[in-house]
Amino acid sequence: MATFFNTILVGISSGSIYALMSLSLVLVWRSTRVVNFAAAGQAVLSTYLGYEAMSRLHNYWLSLPIAVIAGALISALVESCVMRPLAKRSKGTAVESIAPVIATLGILGLIRGVVGLIWGNTFLQYTSPLSSKGFTIGHTTIPFSPLNAAIVIGAAIVLAIFAAIFRFTRLGLALRAASFQPEISRLSGIRVDRIRTIGWAFAGAAGALAGALVTPTAYLSPNSLDLLLVSGFVAAVIGGLESLIGAVVGGLVLGVGFAFILQYIGTQVTFSAAFIILIIVLFIRPQGIFGRGGSREA
Amino acid sequence: MKRKSPAARFLISLGIGAILLFASGHVDELRAYQGAQVAIYAIAIASIVLLTGFSGQISLGHGALLAVGGYAAVIAQIHWHLPYPLTFLIGGIAGALAGYVLGIAAARLRGPYLAGTTLALAVGLPSLANQFHILGGEQGLPFDVGTAPTWIGKDFTQYRWFFWVAVTAALAIFWLLRNLLSTRYGRRWRAVRANPTAAALAGIDIAKAKVLAFTLSSAVAGLSGALFAMLLGLVAPLAFTLTLSFTLVTGAVLAGVSNLGGSIVGALVLVAIPELSNVVATHLGGSDRVTANLPGVVTSVLLIVTVLLAPNGPRIPRRHK
Repeated sequence: MATFFNTILVGISSGSIYALMSLSLVLVWRSTRVVNFAAAGQAVLSTYLGYEAMSRLHNYWLSLPIAVIAGALISALVESCVMRPLAKRSKGTAVESIAPVIATLGILGLIRGVVGLIWGNTFLQYTSPLSSKGFTIGHTTIPFSPLNAAIVIGAAIVLAIFAAIFRFTRLGLALRAASFQPEISRLSGIRVDRIRTIGWAFAGAAGALAGALVTPTAYLSPNSLDLLLVSGFVAAVIGGLESLIGAVVGGLVLGVGFAFILQYIGTQVTFSAAFIILIIVLFIRPQGIFGRGGSREA
Repeated sequence: MKRKSPAARFLISLGIGAILLFASGHVDELRAYQGAQVAIYAIAIASIVLLTGFSGQISLGHGALLAVGGYAAVIAQIHWHLPYPLTFLIGGIAGALAGYVLGIAAARLRGPYLAGTTLALAVGLPSLANQFHILGGEQGLPFDVGTAPTWIGKDFTQYRWFFWVAVTAALAIFWLLRNLLSTRYGRRWRAVRANPTAAALAGIDIAKAKVLAFTLSSAVAGLSGALFAMLLGLVAPLAFTLTLSFTLVTGAVLAGVSNLGGSIVGALVLVAIPELSNVVATHLGGSDRVTANLPGVVTSVLLIVTVLLAPNGPRIPRRHK
């Protein structure tokens, strides 16, 4: 029974990271109808910048906001320099749905290459001051560590801030309106292009935080966040790809699901588990938990 | 695509083949190796062109299907002792089977879902090799197609032989695909891609057409995977990374996604970029970092620029408009 609860705790910790990445993908999807495969690259670059900040400032807690702000800027840059011109050019052509996917792949490759050029392809350690040894309760040590706790708290704070912005501010209203009805929003005086860039910036910030929180539990390399991207995507699909709450719930569900698979089946299935879960979700409930009905059309 | 009869196309293929094979006798081993690489990439890219350019589906996971073909070929050789031409065939068949299953899932998905699912596959599948003993784990399995038979001629080097095999396969595949695309199947795929609703109204079974396209594309991918294994001399999880899948998509985009002949151009570019950027890297002082990452940067920039300037690919066939 203790193992059962510990597994859930560990699952919630990794799940909150998936939730952040999933949120990043959903924010972009809602505002521009693009699944941003470059999210992994953007998060890697911002995490490297966080790493660089930490090696200068020797303070993990200072490097976190730096990574997050960098992530937001990178994302806004990607949107305004590549994705927006592309959307204008490919509109109405046969490749309208494929071209953005390919462009995000190009950006992913470019960022990886540039990161490799600057920092090399070796594994780097971006460590947090918190211990990754589990808490001890009485005489038993549980696998849930202070680092895990910090991940859950950090993710929760950011999710709460996002929720507050989206619900209670004019900016949030504009963001929701621009993704829901771009034409009507434009007519009612919202600068849709600028709002989209801001949406991408939020997404970049969420992805950057996911990268900066997950990296201390592993290592940093130009493609160390690939699996996080796939997990984030699966979480987003579980949540319905449209819904912000769905993204978070999807992340937590996936995290707990993963934790049980690792606990009861074994670590060797880590990489294929995401694919298997994705296929199951797509066959059983393709619209996701929070998605509206209808088919999965682009 | 001008109308030519299958026989005429066969003669053209034969002619190109003869020229290439004659030329292969006059270059060094490295060029022969790169020539084989171009031929194999061209086949793999053609499989994506077939899928994306002609049936409008996208796959970010074709590297996984190459892996299926490669592993199947190697296992057929190790366990059933089949002669190598048959192992290539087995690679193609295994690819087709995997593609059929995936295609059924794919026909229900569009755009982002298909892209994400195939991406998850590309990340997940190669790591399976570590779980099943028969697949040889991280080290992979050796694949040996042997040296050239003596009747072809003396002093036939290894890579020249690989070049011959790869070019023969490539010409056969291109001949088949060219003919196939001018049959009713090719027309159906184009119709589905251009306007699914109109295609359905015209009586085309869209799901069926898509599954067939995915299956065929995967068969071609599987075959190229087996050839890839031949060139490397082994199959291993590290040979079929996500980067390979992305590289193939890049090649297809550079080729012009709906241009079968462009696959060869795409393949040439993919092989030439590392070569050229190596030259540049050496001029820049050539640290390992630059040599390892410059090709990726150049390829990605080319990809972004191509998509931005010509979302439809560099050469847009007017006929489809």
